[in-house]
Amino acid sequence: MKTTRTLRRASQWVVFLLFVFLFLNTEYKDNDVLPYAVNLFLRLDPLMAGAATLAGRALIGMVWPALVTVGLTILLGRFFCGWFCPLGAVIDAADATVFRKARKIRRKDMVPESWRRYKYLILFFLAASSLFTLQWVFLFDPISILIRTFTVSVFPALNFVIHGIFDGLYRAPGPIPAISEPVYGFLKSHFLAFEQPVFRTSAIVGLLFLGILAMERYQRRFWCRNLCPLGGLLALVGRFGLFRRRITEAGCTRCGLCESNCRMAAIGGDVAVTDHGECIECMDCQATCPEEVIHFSGTEGRKPAAVDLTRRGVLASVALGAVTVPFFRVAAHGKAPDPLLIRPPGALPEGEFLARCTRCGECMRVCIANGLQPTWFEAGIEGMWSPILVSRIGYCEYNCTLCGQVCPTGAIRRLFLPEKRKTKLGLAYVDRSRCLPWAGQSDCIVCEEHCPTWSKAIVFREERTQTARGEWRMFKKPYIDEDLCVGCGICETKCPLTDRAAVLVTSRGETRSTGVLAK
Amino acid sequence: MTASALFPSLLRAAGGKTVDVGVASAASPAERARKAVALVGGMKSFVSRGDVVVLKPNIGWDRTPEQAANTDPEFVVAVAEMCLAAGAGSVRVFDRTCNDPRRCYVNSGIKDAVEQFAKKNRVEDALRIYHVEDRKFVRTSIPNALSIKEWDLYRDALEADKIVNLPIAKHHSLAGITLGLKNMMGIMGGNRGQIHYRLSECLVDVHRRVPVALTVIDAGRVLVRNGPSGGSLADVKSFGKAFASRDVVAADAIAAEKIFRLAPGDVGHIGKAMESGLGVSSVGQIRLVEG
Repeated sequence: MKTTRTLRRASQWVVFLLFVFLFLNTEYKDNDVLPYAVNLFLRLDPLMAGAATLAGRALIGMVWPALVTVGLTILLGRFFCGWFCPLGAVIDAADATVFRKARKIRRKDMVPESWRRYKYLILFFLAASSLFTLQWVFLFDPISILIRTFTVSVFPALNFVIHGIFDGLYRAPGPIPAISEPVYGFLKSHFLAFEQPVFRTSAIVGLLFLGILAMERYQRRFWCRNLCPLGGLLALVGRFGLFRRRITEAGCTRCGLCESNCRMAAIGGDVAVTDHGECIECMDCQATCPEEVIHFSGTEGRKPAAVDLTRRGVLASVALGAVTVPFFRVAAHGKAPDPLLIRPPGALPEGEFLARCTRCGECMRVCIANGLQPTWFEAGIEGMWSPILVSRIGYCEYNCTLCGQVCPTGAIRRLFLPEKRKTKLGLAYVDRSRCLPWAGQSDCIVCEEHCPTWSKAIVFREERTQTARGEWRMFKKPYIDEDLCVGCGICETKCPLTDRAAVLVTSRGETRSTGVLAK
Repeated sequence: MTASALFPSLLRAAGGKTVDVGVASAASPAERARKAVALVGGMKSFVSRGDVVVLKPNIGWDRTPEQAANTDPEFVVAVAEMCLAAGAGSVRVFDRTCNDPRRCYVNSGIKDAVEQFAKKNRVEDALRIYHVEDRKFVRTSIPNALSIKEWDLYRDALEADKIVNLPIAKHHSLAGITLGLKNMMGIMGGNRGQIHYRLSECLVDVHRRVPVALTVIDAGRVLVRNGPSGGSLADVKSFGKAFASRDVVAADAIAAEKIFRLAPGDVGHIGKAMESGLGVSSVGQIRLVEG
């Protein structure tokens, strides 16, 4: 009777490997167009799809796969969490390798049973909030969390460590490099980043993720049982599923093995009673039952247990979700946005953008110059982890359209190259007190050299300027043609001043606000 | 000093040591490269059997070959082929780019052309094109430097037996024009923008430390405005020539004259290179070999 559990384990592995494969391929691979839907997991996520649709007040065509997930859940129950969720797979792996031993004595009361309801309360809070256009789902959505964490923390950190090791071996004496370099070459071409990625918020995102895993110390699948609103949604949708646990009571010895083995504690009181909203169909009970009386099939089985929710709790979470919205809507950044809030090319106007943006980090992962970064609070608390172009870190590559290709909800529109090249992210300006030729220090003109538009948005004129020593000298001074500038930020990235650039981009003139395309 | 007034003197060898510069005209980039190298004695006079050769084309920009911001891919392949035919043990092709390296390698057409050639001729081990990696930059001191006493230079270039410099001739906003001298910036690491403050001196310093065995300048298509990155075909003129010389200063002086009608003194870094004795110190020391 272990076949189905083996299948479930295989499914978790396959899905996780698919997740990693898509993650690694969310990258420029000598091709302007990504060949397949690397954002598949996000598009399969009904929580994200629902929130973006509600908050964005738009039917988002590309999230149709989420309907497949919902349909299957109606039929099969909450299988997603046990068989498909890549975060669930990571949690199970962490549990098996690290936390199971630490949790030696399983004390049921370590985490109160009533905490289960928080996932529903979070879900209702998020739904109400989304209904009133404020989208917080990114804080709790497991797919968003996992991709964001891999993008911003795990992958860069792994890359850093592996690079460090092989850099050390590369400099080592004797025959060591001859052995290590082929291995490095293989890793480099298949797994490692082309260049070491760096991200703002990397440490906090990594720590939050470790926190989710560390909760396994106190309870198996702590996250999935108590907090995950996607789990809550699927529990509500799937509790009447056709595929459910039942027991042939005649043969059952009431040994309790199934109950103590259940990772979700979905078997309660009587071993024949299953909470079908909590059961993720992992098949452990079936595989371990000595009498082989547990089956997953058919429509039989007892009526699902009522969801453990108080009316007061539900009302409170809904009210909280709705009532808090205006507090965020009257934040001053709505009137005077941060001038450095440069959004990716094709980003929707700010309100719609935040309503749809899943904070998954796909755009940051794919950004070829590492310029797209997670925000801290430039877009308010509700804008956290949304993408911002930080030109001192990296610029927007003129001929690249990848971020719009990977955005799972269309918060960043997919642009074709001619439109992309005319889309303004902002405008550059020259800080004349720091710019070397303007300040009479030396010639430079690196910004003009790199300016990618045609004709160039940065031009120079040769003019006399007095140096600090009082001599008059000719300098080539940069000027910005604001009609031509698209705010790509390559000038700011390449400006040779090492700290703050002397040519900088602000969001003034961005196409998504003005709606006017450049000439 | 106008260049045309200066030009006749080029033909007169200024007694004693002269340097040849080959000026080749032909229909295709590959033919031009082959002819130019043949005019200065053929690749065998530069590359010896078993040499590790670094080919340094310009792959700096995310531009197509037609946009003439990067060395023509056929041109690069033709020179690589000559190096292999002359017995080079290995030929390595790379550049430190300005736009994203992957995009530059792909859209310049150079990666594909080199890899296709290597595959077709089964010389994948001998001829390789690869990306520059940070860890291979070596802090290198430059004795008697005019400007940069030390800089990070690329290990493969420092360790190569021969360097063949393959620039494309084009307009350059700061330097005026960019040819062989400037092209070697591609082996420099660090914040290269900073050397723009004293570009001429820095270029001389780099060439002193890493001498080039042969410079072959691609002047098939020439970006005459909005260089070095260009972007519009309106700025590209067909010129149909290639220049070759063992002396990068001589090659640059002739190319500047022939393509842009500029005398060495008109181009800061060429003037500075002559003055500093990096190569020929006057156009009088150059012998033109045309074909």
